[in-house]
Amino acid sequence: MFVSQLKVFISYLKAYRKEMLIGMVALILTDVVGLAIPWVLKQFIDKLPNKPSNEELLVFAGLLGLAATFQGLFRFGWRKYIFGPSRKVEFDIVNDLFGHFLKLDSSFYQKKKIGDLLSRATNDIRSVRDFLGLGLLVLADCFVVIISCFSLMIYISPKLTLMAFLPLPLISILFYLYTKKISEGHRIVQEELANISDMVQENLSGIRTLHAYVQEEKEKEKFEKQNEVYLSKNMALTKLYAIFPTSLSFFLGLATLISLWIGGKEVISGNLTLGSFVAFNGYLLMLSWPMMGIGYVFNLSQKGASAMKRVQDIFSEQPEIKSKLGIAPENDFKGELEFQSVSYRYSEQGFHLKDINLKIKPGQWMGVTGPIGAGKSTLFKFPLRVIDPTEGQIYLDGISINELPLELLRKQIGYVEQGPFLFSATIRENIVFGVELSDEKTIEEIAFLAGLEPDILAFPKGLDTMVGEKGVSLSGGQKQRIALARALIRKPKILILDDAFSSLDIETEEKILKNIRRVAQDTTVIMIAHRVSTQRYSDQIVVMENGRISGFGSREQLEAQDGYFKEISDAQSFQKGLEAFLS
Amino acid sequence: MTELAGENLEERYYDWAVFSRIVQYLKPYQLLALLSVLLLLGSALCQLAGPYLAKIAIDDYIAAGNLEGIDKVAFIFLMVLICGFTFQFTQTLLMQYIGQNVMKDLRRETFAHIHKMSFSFFDKNPVGKMITRTVNDVEVLNEMLTSGLILIFSDLFTLVGIFGVLFYLNWKLTLVICLVFPFLAVATHFYRVRARDALRKNRSHVTRLNTFLQENLSGMNTIQLFNRQRRQYTDFESINSEKLSEDLRALHYNAVYVPSIDVFSALGIGLVIWYGGGEFVQGEIQLGVLVAFIQYLNKLFEPIRDLAEKFNIIQSAVASSERIFELLDTPEEILDPPQTSDQKIERGKIEFRNVWFAYKENDYVIKDVSFVVNEGESLAIIGATGSGKSTLINLLCKFYEPQKGEILIDEIPLSQLSKKNARSRISWVQQDPFIFSNDIVSNIRLGNDDIEQEMIESASRSLGTDRFIIKLPDKYQNSVKEKGSSLSMGEKQLLSLTRALVFNPRILILDEATSSVDTETESLIQNAIKKLVMGRTSIIVAHRLSTIRHANKIAVLKKGELVEFGLQEDLIKQKGVYYNLIYFYNQR
Repeated sequence: MFVSQLKVFISYLKAYRKEMLIGMVALILTDVVGLAIPWVLKQFIDKLPNKPSNEELLVFAGLLGLAATFQGLFRFGWRKYIFGPSRKVEFDIVNDLFGHFLKLDSSFYQKKKIGDLLSRATNDIRSVRDFLGLGLLVLADCFVVIISCFSLMIYISPKLTLMAFLPLPLISILFYLYTKKISEGHRIVQEELANISDMVQENLSGIRTLHAYVQEEKEKEKFEKQNEVYLSKNMALTKLYAIFPTSLSFFLGLATLISLWIGGKEVISGNLTLGSFVAFNGYLLMLSWPMMGIGYVFNLSQKGASAMKRVQDIFSEQPEIKSKLGIAPENDFKGELEFQSVSYRYSEQGFHLKDINLKIKPGQWMGVTGPIGAGKSTLFKFPLRVIDPTEGQIYLDGISINELPLELLRKQIGYVEQGPFLFSATIRENIVFGVELSDEKTIEEIAFLAGLEPDILAFPKGLDTMVGEKGVSLSGGQKQRIALARALIRKPKILILDDAFSSLDIETEEKILKNIRRVAQDTTVIMIAHRVSTQRYSDQIVVMENGRISGFGSREQLEAQDGYFKEISDAQSFQKGLEAFLS
Repeated sequence: MTELAGENLEERYYDWAVFSRIVQYLKPYQLLALLSVLLLLGSALCQLAGPYLAKIAIDDYIAAGNLEGIDKVAFIFLMVLICGFTFQFTQTLLMQYIGQNVMKDLRRETFAHIHKMSFSFFDKNPVGKMITRTVNDVEVLNEMLTSGLILIFSDLFTLVGIFGVLFYLNWKLTLVICLVFPFLAVATHFYRVRARDALRKNRSHVTRLNTFLQENLSGMNTIQLFNRQRRQYTDFESINSEKLSEDLRALHYNAVYVPSIDVFSALGIGLVIWYGGGEFVQGEIQLGVLVAFIQYLNKLFEPIRDLAEKFNIIQSAVASSERIFELLDTPEEILDPPQTSDQKIERGKIEFRNVWFAYKENDYVIKDVSFVVNEGESLAIIGATGSGKSTLINLLCKFYEPQKGEILIDEIPLSQLSKKNARSRISWVQQDPFIFSNDIVSNIRLGNDDIEQEMIESASRSLGTDRFIIKLPDKYQNSVKEKGSSLSMGEKQLLSLTRALVFNPRILILDEATSSVDTETESLIQNAIKKLVMGRTSIIVAHRLSTIRHANKIAVLKKGELVEFGLQEDLIKQKGVYYNLIYFYNQR
C-alpha cells in the first residue's frame, strides 16, 4: 500500500531527476569531506608530541579550512538541489490536484467539507513534500554517514566500536515502541482538537438560541470538560515526546562514556594513539545526528504516508456525471425541454421526486412553485446535469441530454439560484464570468437589463468595484441581480431562475421581468418562486408537493381551486396589503 | 490586498506589550515556570560537562597513565548523564504542562468572551474567523511557549555556558576564536533581513493561494455551469508559480546561510589548531584543553543556527496572540447592572415605556414605543419588513438595550435584571429554528438537565411532535445531523415549539415562519401554537391573518413607530389602519 502510493509521488520527482542527481552527489561529497575533518584532527594530535613547526600547524589549519569550505559548498549544493525539486514537486501536485478538483462534480462536493479538502491541498501536500524532500534526503544522509563512520571507527579500533555500540540496540527497541504509540497519540489529539472546533462552531451558529434559553453557563461547562479531555490527551502524547529525545541523548551519552572509559584505558595501555582516540570520539559525535535523523525520518514518513493516502483518495475520486465524449453537431437549439418519468430517490424506499412528466415548449414561461423541500430545485438541476435522476430521461429539443457533451449542454442553459456564488473580483469580472470577451456596451446593456444600473451608479468605482470581503458587501438582492446578468450575457436558450428574485422588492422585480420579456422572447424561462407575484408572466404554473406535481394550470385556474396555490396566494396578498399600508 | 495585511502585522511584531501580556498568562504557574527554567539550566550544564570530563581524562589521567582515575571520570560521567536525563525529561513535561494549561485558560477565556458578545458582533464576524481564534491561534501560541521560548532559553544558556567554560580553560585562545564572530554577525544579519522579507512574501502568497482555493471549491458548481474550468486553472497555476518562486528564494537564502555557519565553525577550529597548536608546542596549553576546545566549538554553533530559525516561530506566535487579544479586548456591549434585582418573574406582564432604540447613532429604528401586555394576554405585532418588529423582540430579550425609555417585566425595569434572570422565563421560538447536531432529547432540553425525558415525551405528545419522533429509528435518542438537515422544515419548527414548551415560560415569543410547509404539517404547527399560547403571555410577530385574528391585542408598527395599539375589537371599531388592512384583504 505504502509502496504503491510512494511510487505515484516518486514519479513526480522524475521530472527533476537531473537536479536530484546533482543534489545527491553533493550530499555524498558533503559527507565524505565531513568524515575527513576528524581524520585531519587525528593526524594533528598524533603529530603534536613531535613538536610540529608553525608551518606544519598552518598546513593542518589550512587543510581543515579547505575541507570546511568544500563541505559548505557541497552542503549548499544539496540544500538547493534536493529541497528545490521537492518544492517544485509540491507545485506540480497542487496544480494537478486543483485540476482534479475542477473535474469532480457535486456528488463529491456534497460528501466533503471544504475545510477538509483545503487541508488536504495544503497541509497534506506539505507533509508529502517534506517527506519527499527532507525525508528521503535525511534517509540517504543517515545511510552514508552511519556506514562510513562505522567503517572508519572499526578501522580505528574494532574493540572500542563494539563496546561503544552496545547501547545502540536499546535505541532501536525504544524507537520501535515509540513510533507505534506516537502516531496513535497524534490521531487522538487531532480528534479532540476537531471536537473543540466543532463545539465552537455549533455554539456560534446557534448562539441566538443558546442565549435566548440562557444556556451560556452550561455550554461553558461542556467546553471546559472538552478542554480538560484535550489537555489530558495532549499530556499523554507529551510524555512520549519527552521520553524519546531525552533517552536518545542519554544513550548517545552512554556511548561516549564507554568510548571515553574503554578508549582511555586503551590509550594508556598503548593500543590506541591519542589522535585516534580523539578522532573516534569525533565520529561518535557525528553519529548522533543520523541516530536522531532516523527518528525524524520515521516521523516524517508516518505523517507523509497518511498524507499521501489522503491526497490519493482525492485523485482516485471520479466524477459521477460523465460527459458524452466527442463533439456533437453545433446545433442551433430551440430550447424545448422535456422530462419523461423522472424520479430521484435517496434510499431504497425514499423518493425525493417521483415520476415527473413535464414538457416545456420553446419560448414558454413555465412557473414552478411549492413548499420548501418539495423537490423543485432538484428537478431543475437535472437539465444542467449537476446531478442525474435515478430514473427517467430528459430531452433538450428531443435529444437526450446524456447524448450531449456537458460543455455544449451547459452553454444552452442560464441558471440563477437564490443565494448565488459570486467571486471576489470586480462586478465586471463577475458579469463576464461565463463568456470569453465582452465589449463595454454589451456589459452595460446587460447590467441595465438585470436592474443593476442604480447600484452601479452608487458604487465607488462603478462596474470596477470589488465584490466580497475585499470590496463592498452586497445585499442579497444585488447578488441576485449580478448573477442574473452573469447568466443573461451568455444568451442562453433556456433560463432557469431558481427563486432568483426572492430578495428583490416588487417594483424591481417587475422591471426586470419586463426587461427579460422584451429582449429574450425566444428564451424558454423556468421561474421557480415562492412569491405568487413573481409568476405574473408565467404561461403555466406547476405546483409541486412532496416530490410530485400536485397542480398544473394558469394562475387564474390555480387560484380558483382549493389547494396549496390558493392558500399561499391568500396569505401573500395579506402580506402585500401589510407592505402597502404600512410602509 | 493580502500583502498589505501581511505588512501590517509585520510592523507590530516587536510589540513588547503583546509579549508581556503573553507572559502574564504564565503567572498562575510562576513557581512551576521557575522550576522549569532551573531544570533547563541544570540540563544545559550537564550537556556541557561531557567535553570537560574528556579534557580531565586526557590531561590528568590518560597522560599520567592513571587507570583508576579513568574509572572515576567514567563514573562521574554516568552520574551527569543520569542527572541530565532526569532534568531534561522533567523539564519537558513541566513546560508542556504549563503550556497546555495556559492554552486551556486562554481558550476558556476566549470562549466565555465570545458568549458575552452581542448579536451585532456575530453579524460582523464570520464563524470561521472565531474558530480560528479559539482553536488555531491558541495552538500557535502554545508552540511558542513550549518550544520557542524554551529553546531560546536553553540556547542562550548553552551559549553563555560554553563561553564561560572556554574562558575558564584558556582565555587567550577564546579571544582568538572570537575573531570569527564579526563575520558570523554580518552573515546572520544579511540572512535575517532577506529571509524575513522572503518569508513575509511567502506567507502572503500562501494566504492568496488558500483563499483562491477555498473560493473555487465553494463556487465549484458555478465554475462548472459556466464552463470556466480552464481559465480558473490558469489563474491558479499563476498564483501557485508566484508562490513557488518566493519559496525558492527563501530556500536559496537558507541554503547559503546554514552551510556558512559550518564554514565559520571550521574556521574557529582552524584557529584552535594553528594558534592552540603553537601554544601547545611551547608548553603553554594542555592537550586536553585543545581537544575540549574543538568539541565545544562544535556545540557552540548549534544554538546560533537554532536561534536564527526560532525567530520565525516567535513572530507568528506574536501575530496570533495579537489577534486573540484583539478579540478579548472587544468590550461587552450589554453589561449586567452592578446590583440586580433578585425578584423572579412570576406573572409575565410586559410594559414598554417610551422606548427609543438605534443600532447606529441617532438612526432610530424604534421611536417612542409604549404599550402594556397583561399576564396571559397575547399580542400580535404586525408591520412591513424593516418596521422594527424583530428589534422590539431583541429589546425584550435584553439582547440590546434601549437608548431612551424603559421596558418592564412584572413591573421590574429590565435594566435592573441580569440578562440571565430576564431571559429565564422567556421562551423565544425563532423564525428559522436552529437545530444542534445532537439527539432529539438534547435538542429539546438543551443543557438543562432538570428537564427529564418524561417531561419531554409528554410535551411532545401534547404538541403532536411525537408523530414524527416515534417514526425515527432511535426515537427520542435519534441524532439529527448538523444543522438538522435530515429534518424537514416543518419538523424543525415543531421541535423548536416543543423546546419552548418544556422550558415552561411565562412569556412566549413567537416569530412566525414565513416559509411555507405542506398543508398537513401547517395545521399541526397551528395546533401546537394554540396549546403553547394558552395560559401564557405571548408576543407573536405575525405574518398570517389567521394568527393575528387569534390574538387579544394588536400592535401596528410603521417605520419604528407604534401607529395603532389596542384590543382587536377596539381597533376594528376605530376604523384605522388595522381596520383598513382587514377590509382591503376581504375586498380583494
